[in-house]
Amino acid sequence: MIWATRTGVHIDRAACAWLIRRFIDQDAVFVFVDDPSDVPAGATAFDMRGADLSHHREDCTFETMLKRYDLADPVLWDIARIVHEADLADERYDAPEAPGLDVLLRGLSMVRGDDEVLAISGPLFDGLYEYRSRATLLGREPS
Amino acid sequence: MWRRLKRLGVAKLLDGLVALPHDARSKEQLEWVADDIAAAGGETTMWIGQLASLADERAIVRELSETVAAEYRRVLSDADAAREVDEAARRRMLGRLRRELRRIRPRDYFPPPEAERARAAVEALAKLSEVRA
Repeated sequence: MIWATRTGVHIDRAACAWLIRRFIDQDAVFVFVDDPSDVPAGATAFDMRGADLSHHREDCTFETMLKRYDLADPVLWDIARIVHEADLADERYDAPEAPGLDVLLRGLSMVRGDDEVLAISGPLFDGLYEYRSRATLLGREPS
Repeated sequence: MWRRLKRLGVAKLLDGLVALPHDARSKEQLEWVADDIAAAGGETTMWIGQLASLADERAIVRELSETVAAEYRRVLSDADAAREVDEAARRRMLGRLRRELRRIRPRDYFPPPEAERARAAVEALAKLSEVRA
């Protein structure tokens, strides 16, 4: 499937792209557009105005995706807490990891193009998923 | 909605008309608010505008700057008050004020002089704890 989102990928879109490729569509192809009218026919748009897979009320797009695709994995919801705060910083959740992740992604997008940002941030989210999985199993932060 | 707009640090120009300095982040955040207003049955349009006079632009910058300056002044006075309390209370206050500064920073588009003074006052609290410890 082809997935379209806005250029200048930041935390929410990077996290969604990782989620799509790992949990929804492993053959996903991503295209980046400047305007919603540039979304190619047949592509599924996300994190863009007018797209269903987008912000809804207090939810960021990552949270919307988990709901739309019925992904109930508690580790993904734990990551959603971090992505939400890194993206919106509205203090809905307690996520001390968020400001650090936000800065890393912002800096990365200054020195790399969108495709590379996804290629580099993918393993970062794999690591975050592993870390939060272990934390969930142990009931404490893993060493 | 107003709470969200306030968190973004908008300047209120007229009833129902707000402005933010134009960058990718502020534009995106305003778009999400606009979509939510539309979803709730309201109407919005977003404009990327340019003021005709420098004086008008400065007036808006002053308003934005004054709003965050008031927030920094509250941090400053809390930091001053925290110098007089015991060590444990001061450490709690230090944590709270650092978080408060982090909250203000994203909407501080035109840092007023109070910004640096507030940061210095909060970090002076940390030093005070080190010296007495």
